[in-house]
Amino acid sequence: MRTKSMRGLGLVAVVASGALVLAGCGSSDDGGTASDTASESASESTGGEDPAAADGGNAGGTINVLTLEEQFLHIDPQRVYTGVDLAFLNGYMQRTLTAYKFAEGAEGVTIVPDMATDLGTPNADGTQWSFTIRDGVTFEDGSEVGCADVKYGVSRTFAQDVITDGPTYAISLLDIPTDADGASVYKGPYVTEGNDMAAFDAAITCSDDNKTITFNLSRPSGDFNYTVTLTAFSPVPAAADTGEGYDNAPVSSGPYKISEYTKGQKMVLVRNENWNPDSDDYRPAYPDQIVVQFALDPSAIDQRLIADAGDDQTAVTFAGLTPESLATVFAGGDPRFTERSVDGLDPYVRYLAINTQKVPNQKQRQAIAVAINRGELITIAGGDFAGSEGDGVIKPNLATDYEASGMWDGLLGGTVPSEGDPELAKKLIAESGEPMPAITYDYPQTPTNDKAAASIQAALAAAGIECKLNAIEAGQYYGVVLDPEQEGALVSAGWGPDWQNASTVIPELFGVNGGFNLSRVDDPAFEEMVQAALANTDRASQAAEWKELNKYAMEQAWAIPTRFGKIQYLWGSKVGNAYLWDAYGSFPFGELYVAQ
Amino acid sequence: MSLTVEPGSAEGAALLGNGASSGDFAGLSLRALAWRRLRRDKAAMVAMVFLLLVAFIAIFTPWIVGLMGLDPYSFDQEALDPALGSIPLGPWGGISWDHPLGVEPLTGRDIFARLLYGARVSLFIASTSVLFIVIIGTTVGIVAAYKGGWLDTLIGRLTDLILAFPFLLILIALSPVLTQRLEAIGFSPEWARFGYIIIVFVVFGWPYLARLIRGQVLSLREREFVEAAVATGAPTRRILFKEMLPNLWAPIIVYATISLPTLIAAEAVLSYLGVGIIEPTPSWGKMLSDSVRYFVIIPSYLFIPGTVLFLVVYSFNVFGDAIRDALDPRGSRNN
Amino acid sequence: MIRRILTGILILILLSMVTFLLFNALPADPAALTCGKSCNPQVIAANRVRLGLDQPLYMQYVEFVKGIFFGRTYGSGTATFECDAPCLGYSFRKGEQVTPLILKALPVTIWLSLGAFLLWLIPGVLLGIYASRRRGRWQERVTLGSALVGYSFPSFFIGLLLLFFVVIRWQWLPYPSYISPFENPVQFLQTMVLPWLTLALVYMAFYIRLTRNQLLETYSEDYIRTARAKGLKEGVVIRKHALRAGLTPIVTAAGLDLAGLLGGAIITESIFSLPGVGRLAVDAVIDADLAVITATVLLAGTFIITANIVVDLLYAVIDPRVRLA
Repeated sequence: MRTKSMRGLGLVAVVASGALVLAGCGSSDDGGTASDTASESASESTGGEDPAAADGGNAGGTINVLTLEEQFLHIDPQRVYTGVDLAFLNGYMQRTLTAYKFAEGAEGVTIVPDMATDLGTPNADGTQWSFTIRDGVTFEDGSEVGCADVKYGVSRTFAQDVITDGPTYAISLLDIPTDADGASVYKGPYVTEGNDMAAFDAAITCSDDNKTITFNLSRPSGDFNYTVTLTAFSPVPAAADTGEGYDNAPVSSGPYKISEYTKGQKMVLVRNENWNPDSDDYRPAYPDQIVVQFALDPSAIDQRLIADAGDDQTAVTFAGLTPESLATVFAGGDPRFTERSVDGLDPYVRYLAINTQKVPNQKQRQAIAVAINRGELITIAGGDFAGSEGDGVIKPNLATDYEASGMWDGLLGGTVPSEGDPELAKKLIAESGEPMPAITYDYPQTPTNDKAAASIQAALAAAGIECKLNAIEAGQYYGVVLDPEQEGALVSAGWGPDWQNASTVIPELFGVNGGFNLSRVDDPAFEEMVQAALANTDRASQAAEWKELNKYAMEQAWAIPTRFGKIQYLWGSKVGNAYLWDAYGSFPFGELYVAQ
Repeated sequence: MSLTVEPGSAEGAALLGNGASSGDFAGLSLRALAWRRLRRDKAAMVAMVFLLLVAFIAIFTPWIVGLMGLDPYSFDQEALDPALGSIPLGPWGGISWDHPLGVEPLTGRDIFARLLYGARVSLFIASTSVLFIVIIGTTVGIVAAYKGGWLDTLIGRLTDLILAFPFLLILIALSPVLTQRLEAIGFSPEWARFGYIIIVFVVFGWPYLARLIRGQVLSLREREFVEAAVATGAPTRRILFKEMLPNLWAPIIVYATISLPTLIAAEAVLSYLGVGIIEPTPSWGKMLSDSVRYFVIIPSYLFIPGTVLFLVVYSFNVFGDAIRDALDPRGSRNN
Repeated sequence: MIRRILTGILILILLSMVTFLLFNALPADPAALTCGKSCNPQVIAANRVRLGLDQPLYMQYVEFVKGIFFGRTYGSGTATFECDAPCLGYSFRKGEQVTPLILKALPVTIWLSLGAFLLWLIPGVLLGIYASRRRGRWQERVTLGSALVGYSFPSFFIGLLLLFFVVIRWQWLPYPSYISPFENPVQFLQTMVLPWLTLALVYMAFYIRLTRNQLLETYSEDYIRTARAKGLKEGVVIRKHALRAGLTPIVTAAGLDLAGLLGGAIITESIFSLPGVGRLAVDAVIDADLAVITATVLLAGTFIITANIVVDLLYAVIDPRVRLA
């Protein structure tokens, strides 16, 4: 999934911090694996059937969200793909069949039923999944949500010219034929001519009572019930769909609805009277109102939270603290902050993709990897708070699939210290048998990234590699590097899994059809193993395959993992239930309350 | 429509044009008188000495910094505290014998060295831009006034058009395109940025001076000595360079002195907006915009480049004002 | 006068053409920008048609101009929509028509500009008068010298310092959050006072200096000497005679500065999170949102051109010696 993008910043004040990962096209949530047993209620802190009324002490008030962004990149449920945005919209407005549990730690990446009565029923080989929608689930106009609305929502993903930027698992997983070009024969609900509606109707079927939805998949999927946590699988009433315009005013199915959305200024969510608490065990819906304040200076956001005055006492954020605030908040266990701050792993691996079209020689790629001063890059990103050294594209908090790859302990031809080894790099270049080409480093421009680029350039120069820096405006970054014509040899990137399975990492980053294949990998032997792993429904042996493939990719030096990222949040003193929610590396928005 | 006075804004566009007031500098060939007036202005003299010192340091930066055993590019992780967001170890932003003005957070690069190298960059960009503005502005202004007719009209419309653009916005918006173009024709990324900034400064800077000069030339043409030269059949070039140009120095010098500090400040604004000088090259603007974010925990980091930038710009302004007073007796406090 | 207006319109047309051309040279393909993760050439091609980018440049320009006067239709299939005149285009990045976006941002910028304008013009002129009355004395030096201080800092620096100290450190004011003055005048003032102050500090020095110089110049004119000789009070001399005669350049500068700000006070709006035109434009630049960039550049240009015409008109009102040719 992608992190919050760092728009806005290139200019003014720039970004926050280390979290520069922007995945322009990144992935979605990093969710959890875990199992299907957690079927009871979502949040323990929710007390009672009617959460808004119950827990009288917690209901009411206004939660303020402070952000440097000008606006949400998208709020159309089918187009949202930023982890934090998913957490926000799913928590307040867009219900999904299943959702991540509101809980700290590993429990936070397990799923619970939301609109569905349970966690779904697969057939024997995992190619068909059925979910039954609860009674009383309604849109904001009071009309009942049925299978047809979910189906219509999913159909929108196929209109790839209008519904852009969203996750495309519906397209890759549903059993719909493709044409000669590999595009789906179904083109979404807006096209009538030359559009194979029947294929889509066969892929998703509704029961006669419009309650049960069945997905027919093109390959086995053992964890499709995690896939449907994405709001791309949220219901949309066909009558209200305005295509492009739906991104400004999506219809709510959750406890809140939009009362004002002024881009560059604020969004106000108020209670949706037609939300039926009896149909929703998942959302406690404590506050009366949620106000998102856009376009703030990132340093100012930190300073407001530190000051903790007035309305900022009920404030949370989308982005983490900037490095310049860390000393203030975390130094010496200042009691003003210990109770309202958190420091933990985020879902993302920061890495440098090496474009194999530009550097086809494996030894030369390894030379680049060996030359980089990883320790310095972490220091520049903020030191210990920025994260720890990475050794692969799978992170330890994806526990099932993680295993030390040994990348820096011999995989590249020797032990590589964190400051890099220019001599080993030179040796690898000599062994490559070809002259080392001059390379270009692409990165989204922010002050912090500029400094990291200077470090990379210097480290490569020490190994005799000439590197040109190509700073790209943050907002356009992924648009540029995802274009093969424009991409350089070395590319700054960050990625987190869409759910707790490396199937949302390895194939995306290094698969032929991977949506984030910045390394431009086209390796048939590797691809075959990827396909085998994808079709493997035995989770344990699948995990072993991912570990192998991760190691394979690192040995090929398709990517240089620079950091297993961390994030720090600070929140207002009157915010209740605030913690780092591992599902999205964000606050658990749907569960926050205002302490009275 | 023609402007007789340049706008004094500082919000971008006008950064270039401000200050050049409508003062009529005609007939000021009394250079000695002006210099005497200037010398009596103590503040101006202090400013001038300071600026000469800065210029000296900027020219000899590599030697000065080298002698002190510093360099502006090398990272120093040892000087930083990884447990506190990579801020400098020690008080006052890590001021020590090794780093006389402390180090930059996140990188540990030496601030003293970067400040001095930054002076080079800032002054180079500002003075080169002013040089081109003066050459182009003066030439176009003279040509427009002297040739008149459709050429004058054309130049008039062109300046109108350029001055109608929201300069700052255009500058930001075109930055990616133009720097890429410059890189494509063989500039290094560093020089492409320099070139881009200079080009934009010049393109949006010359029209003001051209108008000023045009007005000067038009009024000079009516003067006796020029009319005399024309009557004696002197060639145009001789009239322009021998008779006109000496009388244009006053407005040109004033304009240049006032433009320099605005361009130095404009460079800082560009860096703040992320379209200025690119890493690893140091610049004052970048130091300032970086340091603003650290003001709470490392005030000295903000204070040092802020003070230096302020002193230089302020000195230029004081000096520029004094020159204007000296050259323009009517506005002067000393006559 | 008619000729001046016609010239103004000509410049505006030229401006729109140059702007259109300049931004078509942006390297980012706007069609590609509308395309997400599963981008492929077909989608880009489809979007190009949908956005009208498949047409030659001059046709796109014609469409754009037509949209301003007659409105236009975007989209294809069932997902089309109308953009009513005056249609300044459609932002696919924001998913909104440009005209309402600008109409929403404009009041913020107008309030910001007008307030700052009064705050620098009135004290600036008054201080200029004061300095001129204390010519050669320490008061003049202090006035001019201290005005230069504000002028010698980049505006972002002053703005951020004010924000950090006044709002965050000392908490004398709540954090700026724009609201219409008709809705909540107190919060409006609390929000705007620092941005006004920032702009005023930056601009004021020039006006002090200009006023002083103009006055010094007119003091030496015969009719002022005459007025003084007649025994008129000094205040009357300044107000009725000196200031009036020296007003022209001040009006010009003020008019153009105000116009420049109305086109968007980029830095100040950014620092204080004011959702004005400048902020809109910067955001558009970051997003490579061509429709919004074009519209905001045009808007800013229109303000400047209009201001030039208005200033010319004012000349005639203020100074009877100027005739409108």
